[in-house]
Amino acid sequence: MSALFTGWIGAAVLSGIVIAGAMTCVAYMTWLERKFVARMQNRIGPYEVGYPHGWLQPMADVAKLLIKEDITPRAADKILFNLAPILVVVPALVGFAFLPLGRRLAIVDHPYSFLFFTAFASLSLLGIFAAGWSSNNKYALLSALRMVAMAASYEVPMILSLLVPALLTGSFRLTAVVEAQQGLWFIGYPVIGQVAFGIFLLCALAEGNKSPLDILEAESELVAAYNVEYSGIKFALFYAGEYAHTLAICGLGATVFLGGYLGPAFLPGFVWLLLKCVALFLFILWIRWSLMRMRIDQAVRIMWMFLLPASLVNLLLSAYWVVGR
Amino acid sequence: MPSIGTIVFGTLHSMRMTMRNVFSKANTVPYPRKKRPIPGQWRAGSFALTSDPRTGEENCIGCRLCEYICPSEIIKVTLRKGEARKNGIGATYCDVFVLDYQACMQCELCIQVCPTDAIVMTRALAPAVTTREGLLLTKERLMQNGQKLLASPELCSEATPSKIREWTDPVRGLPKPEETT
Amino acid sequence: MSGGPIEVVERDFGELALNMGPQHPSTHGVLRLILHLSGETVIKAIPVIGYLHRGVEKLSEHLAYDQLAPVYERDDYLAPTANSNAYVLAVERLGAIAVPRRAQWLRAFVSEWQRVSSHLVWLGTLGLDLGGALGGGTTLYMYCFREREKILDFLEELTGTRFHTNFNLVGGVRYDLDAAMVAKSNALAASVEAALPEFWAMSGGNPIFQERTRNVGVISKDLAMGVGITGPTLRASGINYDVRKAAPYDAYDELPFEVVTRTAGDAEARFQVRMEEIGVSLKLVRTIANGLPTGPIFTRKPLKNPKATKLPKGEVYAAVESPRGELGFHIVSDGSARPYRLKINAPSFKNLQIVPHILPGGLVADVVAILGSLDPVLGDVDR
Repeated sequence: MSALFTGWIGAAVLSGIVIAGAMTCVAYMTWLERKFVARMQNRIGPYEVGYPHGWLQPMADVAKLLIKEDITPRAADKILFNLAPILVVVPALVGFAFLPLGRRLAIVDHPYSFLFFTAFASLSLLGIFAAGWSSNNKYALLSALRMVAMAASYEVPMILSLLVPALLTGSFRLTAVVEAQQGLWFIGYPVIGQVAFGIFLLCALAEGNKSPLDILEAESELVAAYNVEYSGIKFALFYAGEYAHTLAICGLGATVFLGGYLGPAFLPGFVWLLLKCVALFLFILWIRWSLMRMRIDQAVRIMWMFLLPASLVNLLLSAYWVVGR
Repeated sequence: MPSIGTIVFGTLHSMRMTMRNVFSKANTVPYPRKKRPIPGQWRAGSFALTSDPRTGEENCIGCRLCEYICPSEIIKVTLRKGEARKNGIGATYCDVFVLDYQACMQCELCIQVCPTDAIVMTRALAPAVTTREGLLLTKERLMQNGQKLLASPELCSEATPSKIREWTDPVRGLPKPEETT
Repeated sequence: MSGGPIEVVERDFGELALNMGPQHPSTHGVLRLILHLSGETVIKAIPVIGYLHRGVEKLSEHLAYDQLAPVYERDDYLAPTANSNAYVLAVERLGAIAVPRRAQWLRAFVSEWQRVSSHLVWLGTLGLDLGGALGGGTTLYMYCFREREKILDFLEELTGTRFHTNFNLVGGVRYDLDAAMVAKSNALAASVEAALPEFWAMSGGNPIFQERTRNVGVISKDLAMGVGITGPTLRASGINYDVRKAAPYDAYDELPFEVVTRTAGDAEARFQVRMEEIGVSLKLVRTIANGLPTGPIFTRKPLKNPKATKLPKGEVYAAVESPRGELGFHIVSDGSARPYRLKINAPSFKNLQIVPHILPGGLVADVVAILGSLDPVLGDVDR
């Protein structure tokens, strides 16, 4: 299978498939979230659009957002304001280029693909900051400032916890990280695996703007925060970017902690990856819709005073494990 | 700052509650497919002017009591003198009867004061309209509703026969109005 | 440059004036707050009210006494019966109109059910404030509204409408409770009581919720007395004042119940007081439904022309304990069929006066937590 996707043309075809697949996934992630949350809240969720269980609802949402009026505030910084949605979506999608979808099947199999992936996943925040700053709205500005404070706090423990699988593998190549989990997934390593995964999960909540750490999008305080002035297709891009971002984070977590495409052979590798992504996504949703939001000072305090030392100690422990092996 | 144990335990407790609800029955009523039962006392429906089924004469005597009591001041009645009714409730009729349903707050005071039980409430949802004029219940519309009520008595709200009459019901041990006057 | 001491320039970046509301998801309607922020810290908060002013007090000088009770139910739109209850109490007191005992018990019964439903709305919206519409807050909100829906269905079956029941008449009540409805009420009380641990797990038992509310918006005893706040907000500051005990009306002189108080005065204490009040009210509705005295529910002459009901010349003040606090009606009568002047002593209005005192020093996130814990209803504030 991988022989089909070699060279420039192969990479282009594969990235086309991956982008189309990822966008479809994103659309149906919104449906999945709405259905799951509805069950959590004793409701039935989307039902009538696409009669049983609303399976056409994402399409209807996209169509509605496409035909809505696209507003640019007069006082906004127009270039940055229009650039921001693209800055959110594109890095999140570029990240998928490094994700190993099967054995020797990745668009880019770079020796430092791990680092590239995390870097691109975090690049979306630039678009959020641009949106918050350029909207010329006080709520959006507050959100942008919160984003800076939060990003500086959670990126450090996140990278430190992601270093643990890289350290255990001895490589920054994501395909190698997956292959190293043939015997035991990295989440299964006693203490270090679980602690690293836990810290990663908390930071993923912050990275994906999910409650209890959805501080920069706190809509009960900042109305709709950085996308308060956006409408129509640009808002749709933000929405898609947020979910693509979440999907990328889930993909990363599934790849480095849950064995990526590894699984019993009766299903192809990318299906296993997708299943693990969905499982991780549902777990994140379960946390998200069960907890209240933290205040920004509490969140930053937890990140610096608890998660950072814990991830450092964890990294030391895993280094000790590697040396002692 | 609470201890780590408290945080983890409290968080898991919340998550356990939400997960328990995932497997419970949904509370949603898919409205147009499945209709909620409307209780007997229900008084959020539309209005009707009744007429005597034996003689076919309208019950409204144009006394304007409902116009006086209405807190929203949405009822307009004018009186017309006519021939004496065969069922003996007088010789006056309403000429104009307009109820502006847009501003009605369903307080049911008009039904309580009506001496002949002419104005009543229906137990069916008020039909949706597309114009404001559609909510202006004129005498013709109210009489039509009254004919519908005669045809299908299950549309009558239990609040429909005046409450005053219910208060005088000897079974429930309530005093008759003449005792208290 | 070289060698000289480094000069530290302290720049004052000034204040950011943030208009929170009147259209904002967490201002509980149309409250407008002008917040002066330094960073995210609130320096000054000015509440601006009046966006929901409907002129009810002036309107009541134009309507007769018998017409007015349903009008006031639109004031505090979370506990309508408390409003009309206070109004009919005032009219009955001034006109020396006798009310049958059973009617008084029934008034307390519906009031307590509406207290539960009002507190459920408060809890759900507090969850929305703290957890956001895209988080655990909505889940709590949905659980609260699931139970509230059952209460509204019950009230609909009892009175004909779900919400603005128009239950109280001058001189009695309008609908009676039969044996089947008593059984339904008891079953409903049990069902709401069974859901209370669920609410607690989603809110008060959650460490994030505790951290968000503890030591936030502390109202000291002196401040509470000085500003004149009322209701659960006052009781959370350690003052045992409940109109149901202090000046019993309806059937409360015969009903056994505890007044819930806390001493901390912060948002968590206000939360706990209201949560316990739900339990107290559920006990009360059971007591009332099972111990209703027999007799008539209305002994006045049936309603005819509203201009026939005239009150003697004089003044009267009657208050009830609405879910938000002491709700009073002051009526001045000149002997005619209409009030000469009517003043509503609204609890939400009084509770909102505390806002400029307790918001400064907190963060923007605390503003919504404090507002949510005060439970203002803007229809009650502006009238």
